[in-house]
Amino acid sequence: MDELEFRRTLYADPNCSDERILAAIAEDPKKQAFRKELKQLDKDMDLASQVKVPDDLVHKLLLRQTMQSHRASKVRNRIQLAMAASVAFVVGVSFTMWQQHNLLNIADQAIAHVYMEGNYALEAQNNVSLQQVNAKLAQFGGEFTEELGQVYYANFCDFENVRSLHMVMQGENGKVSVFVIPHDDAHNAESTANGRGYQSQALDLKRASIVVVGEEGANIEGMKQQLKSKIHFSA
Amino acid sequence: MFSRKQNSQASVSTDMLNKQKRYEVLVLALHTDIFRYACWLVKNKTVAEDIVQETFLRAWKSLDSLKDEKAAKSWLITILRRENARRFERKQFDLVDIDDVSIIDDQLSNEVEIEHRELRAVMGSLSEEYREPLMLQIVFGYSGDEIAQQLNLNKNTVMTRLFRARNQVKEALDKANENRGRENG
Repeated sequence: MDELEFRRTLYADPNCSDERILAAIAEDPKKQAFRKELKQLDKDMDLASQVKVPDDLVHKLLLRQTMQSHRASKVRNRIQLAMAASVAFVVGVSFTMWQQHNLLNIADQAIAHVYMEGNYALEAQNNVSLQQVNAKLAQFGGEFTEELGQVYYANFCDFENVRSLHMVMQGENGKVSVFVIPHDDAHNAESTANGRGYQSQALDLKRASIVVVGEEGANIEGMKQQLKSKIHFSA
Repeated sequence: MFSRKQNSQASVSTDMLNKQKRYEVLVLALHTDIFRYACWLVKNKTVAEDIVQETFLRAWKSLDSLKDEKAAKSWLITILRRENARRFERKQFDLVDIDDVSIIDDQLSNEVEIEHRELRAVMGSLSEEYREPLMLQIVFGYSGDEIAQQLNLNKNTVMTRLFRARNQVKEALDKANENRGRENG
């Protein structure tokens, strides 16, 4: 190893542990002094390059990270809250809509009832007095205050699991079926329907709904208004 | 469903706690050397402080990507150098020379302090390509191979630069001594 290479190597790294360098140093006290000098220079440079760290730097570094993660978690919480809120909102809206969708259309139901029953009630020829009707209607807290005209049939029946009053009365043109149905959450009380040769209109009153079912073409509107004015519910 | 959520949240906060611990250890162990290195890299204490803060913030954000704690030092240096490079994309600062920076050895004797000031001036006057590998060697005790890896350079290039860096420092010091000798004599 020549002198130049030796110097170059030590200049690049005074702590070089290459065997050839170490051997050369062992042989020559001058080279030993040279290395010592360079090591001293390194030590000096190390000392001279020391920089006083600002006292608050550590705190700044730790604080900024804490703030950062705090902010991040706050944003995350907000997002989670927003997600939960919108999920709850959607569930609420769709449940309401689903429930409304499932409301029983009592006008439809009344036609189905009359149709399925056949002529059993329609062909009844009883002459039911107002008192008899009112005795039954009293169960629902109601009464008719005026004569209803000819009532052929009045009895309780099962209207989709709700105990109701089923009457057959003489209308302007033909017999008309009238249902008095106590309020139920599952009912869509204001509705009209037609089909199977019948038409029907429902009317929502204070404590019960009234559904009038007549043959198609019959004037049931008049009957509906008449009943509305004659029926009275106790408070 | 609820209990599972609670568990996962608990483990999330445990993770956060672990991350926080790791980060604190990292800051406490390395911020002095990193700050010192930054000072010598940019030759301005205020800018260095900014860069160090950015570096550690970035380190915190991507702490999960640091798998091996032994690699933390070179990982931080890499982030720091990237932050420094980013600074030049944004804006060029007027830099104050490192000689103006207040230095730790207040308690040293006047004579030594003068020598160190001289040495600092010489080191600060080295061009960046010489100063950077030299500071990696002195501040972090990196070997030639490690410096080459950190700076993405060939090892021979690194050794040449280190040689030239010390050579320049030595020449400058010798020249200063000569001048002083002449003045004094």
